[in-house]
Amino acid sequence: MAANLNLKVNGQEYQIKVDPAKRLLDVLREDLGLTGTKEGCGEGECGTCSVILNGKLVNSCLVLALQADKADILTVEGLAENGKLHPLQQAFMKEGAVQCGYCTPGMLLAAKALLDSNSSPTKEEIKLAISGNICRCTGYDQIIRAVESVVKARERN
Amino acid sequence: MKSGYQIVGKRVNRVDALAKALGKAKFTSDFKRQDMLIGKALFAKFPHAIIKGVDTAKAEQLEGVQAVLTAKDLPGRNGYGILVPDKPVIAEKKTKYEGDAVALVAAVSEEIAKKALGLIEVEYEVLPAYDDPRQAMKDDAIHIHEAHPAADKGNILTTVALDSGDVEKAFREADIIIENSYETPMVDHAYMETDVCMAEPDPLTGGLTLCSPQQAVYATKRCLAPVFGIPQNKIRTFCPIVGGGFGGKEDSVLDVSAMAGVLALKTKRPVYFELDREEVFRTTGKRHATYIKHRMAATKDGKITAVDVETILDKGAYTSMGGLNNPLMAVTQRTAMYAGGTYFIPNARARSHSVFTNHPYSCAFRGFGAPQAMFAVECQIDELAKALNMDPIELRLKNILRHGDRTIFGQVMKENRGLGLEECITKVKGRMDWDKSLDQGNGPVKKGKGIAVFMYGTGIPLLFEGASCYVNLELDGSVSVAVAATEMGQGIVTALTQTAAEALGVRYEDVNVTYSDTATAPDCGPTVGSRAAVVVGNAVLDGCNKLRERMLSVASKEFKKDPRDMDIKQGEVFIVGKPETTMPLAAIVSKAFITQVPLAAVGTWYPPQPSFRAEDGQGEPMHAYTFGVQAVEVEVDTETGELSVTRSVLACDVGKAINPSLVEGQMEGGAAMGIGWAILEEGFMNKGVMENASFHNFLIPTIKDLPELESIIVEHPNDLGPYGAKGIGEPPLIATAPAIRNAVCNALGISINTIPLTAVRILAAVKNQQAVGGGN
Ligand code: FES
Ligand code: FES
Repeated sequence: MAANLNLKVNGQEYQIKVDPAKRLLDVLREDLGLTGTKEGCGEGECGTCSVILNGKLVNSCLVLALQADKADILTVEGLAENGKLHPLQQAFMKEGAVQCGYCTPGMLLAAKALLDSNSSPTKEEIKLAISGNICRCTGYDQIIRAVESVVKARERN
Repeated sequence: MKSGYQIVGKRVNRVDALAKALGKAKFTSDFKRQDMLIGKALFAKFPHAIIKGVDTAKAEQLEGVQAVLTAKDLPGRNGYGILVPDKPVIAEKKTKYEGDAVALVAAVSEEIAKKALGLIEVEYEVLPAYDDPRQAMKDDAIHIHEAHPAADKGNILTTVALDSGDVEKAFREADIIIENSYETPMVDHAYMETDVCMAEPDPLTGGLTLCSPQQAVYATKRCLAPVFGIPQNKIRTFCPIVGGGFGGKEDSVLDVSAMAGVLALKTKRPVYFELDREEVFRTTGKRHATYIKHRMAATKDGKITAVDVETILDKGAYTSMGGLNNPLMAVTQRTAMYAGGTYFIPNARARSHSVFTNHPYSCAFRGFGAPQAMFAVECQIDELAKALNMDPIELRLKNILRHGDRTIFGQVMKENRGLGLEECITKVKGRMDWDKSLDQGNGPVKKGKGIAVFMYGTGIPLLFEGASCYVNLELDGSVSVAVAATEMGQGIVTALTQTAAEALGVRYEDVNVTYSDTATAPDCGPTVGSRAAVVVGNAVLDGCNKLRERMLSVASKEFKKDPRDMDIKQGEVFIVGKPETTMPLAAIVSKAFITQVPLAAVGTWYPPQPSFRAEDGQGEPMHAYTFGVQAVEVEVDTETGELSVTRSVLACDVGKAINPSLVEGQMEGGAAMGIGWAILEEGFMNKGVMENASFHNFLIPTIKDLPELESIIVEHPNDLGPYGAKGIGEPPLIATAPAIRNAVCNALGISINTIPLTAVRILAAVKNQQAVGGGN
């Protein structure tokens, strides 16, 4: 039995019918075609499926779609605005924080969630914020440097 | 060294960084379509069992099920493998590990497919399962393969021998002998993108198209053509960008592609077949666990005179990249080849036995046997240093391979191929403040420093080693390069773009490299062995040089100048010394187009023919070697056993960094993975069943487990590499584990010879020492 689901994703309103067993991750990827959000484990352990839901970072593989009814969601596709990259995206590119790129969407959103709640985090706070996101390629240094560079640029302004 | 490169050596942004940062770069699973059937496998309930019967009747009747296959329903050979076709698509008589499929299902939805699996009834007769290759290699062990096409004897797949000099005499005459046993764990690659395949029959050709993340598109179709009963030229294998491979996706691709492919052929429909994370843990390849006995002989002033090493490798259930004796190859051979580390040792004997167990098949994993071998030898050097009361760095410098020295496998080291180990050691020593002792304080936390060195050959020591590619000049002056190599995060597409732009004298933005598709590019060998930037890079260089010569010859007619007096830079052709004479390359290309000068070239490159003798393991397997040094500082809590790596400095002699940012990316990622192998990762196997098949309990490093990772690039050019480059994909992790183990020993004064160095293991060693100490 399909159920009604109302969502706001990246500023756009959606009204769709979904199978109630579906996870938010599946709805984003399959129903809305937003494949930027990845599935690395499906059990809340890796963070590749991270999205920001009503201002909070969540693993979309652990959220049932219907739990997200009426929610406001940000996925990686919504980070750049009007064709302008988010400073984090720019910094990830510049600092070499992107290798295979599979963890990148989740990492970007984890970093964004941090910066939204804390405009000048310390290195330790940055580490804590991304500690739920696994990256097997980079060793994380370049990711931390990228986030730090955004923080520094903000502090300068 | 020639300098003044335009693009090589520059930290340009990766070509794929923007799309990846936007979340728009598509991986295989992002191409899933609604019209695809969902494929699933029923994997073995018991890792070692006789299959008495499989009843699929109920599953077949379930609405929405399109096909249920057992071993009797396959279109071709029920066996595949990179070296030996010993792994069945669907197990028929026996299961040999948890990852053997006993039946396959294709259905209209995932839910129905899963439900169908639950309706299949299998009757098993359970056999005892082997976890330890030392047990499995005994004469009275049950043969895991009843009749294996390549096994030496019983469960011993192969024994590799390496002999040089007179080992017995050297040990008789030694002033000191260091003898210890070492163990390294079986671990998962843990690439973030799980394995998946989309298989689609091609009604036009009767062939099959397979899209799956992988490291070797040509090897995949060669291995699987007999399984499908389709000739190789009607199979197209390809993949978009890959979410990490680390060696694993050379093999796991075969599993998912074989299963997806046979379901697609049966149903004549496109099939989507994805493994979930737990299935990846239980069914795909792993790093070979090893059990190593290492004896080292030396003089009292610290000259190593001999090594005698026996390595037992946990092969798991199938050959995969484990090794064969004839031709001599793969992981088993590497453990023997690197048993003497980076040292000049005149006498050596190594025996490596690869033994079947009921574990997931062990396959290629970053370092390909070298990390295991180097772990033992680098621990041994520290033990020798301790016994001789010498500084570990001084002892290493006394023994490292230098120009003209012969390795234990018989290859003579040459400075012109890049021998930067000593410079790496000196730089790391300086950066670490090696001679300054650490402040220990009075608390339970002890600090230590450790170091280890490594070497690693670029490429694969096989007769076919080499690469081909296409390079095509477009009429607007842009350049298309087609390679079959895989982009899995290492940045090969970027490195090749830089290589091509430099060679042809065009801008970085004007080169487009397409990749990993048998329909568009010729074979360039697998993307493994830290070879792509070098071996494929040289092929790209060759193709570009051919076109460059042709264009300069066309230009020479325009300018009425000798081609040797002409050059191309930034997409402009000009007379050397007269930059004002320029003409756009596009104009020259158009001229070539209408004067019957071909705009396409096949680039090829082969290294000097690799050689390796099976009798004694002697030869010249690789044309060049990457060297490096890892040093760490650690803190060990003697009350809890908790270990933290607080500093990591890694120096690698990479020949030439085509893109230093990419090289550092490999170095940092490698060090991180090495730290994981050293302190965290371990597959817990209980009678063939993996007990930690989840990221919840199979721990890989998060940011909390890692210190800042410092990298030092050293460049001793390889005269056969593109712009001097050597391989850097795998090497960075090779010396990490022994460096950490040596640092822990330094902190505690206890030798622990098994990794990972978990709190449990460290605490046990501390308690054990206290008990022994108390008894005194
Ligand atoms: S896929 Fe959601 S946490 Fe891994
Ligand atoms: S870049 Fe590959 S997992 Fe992070």
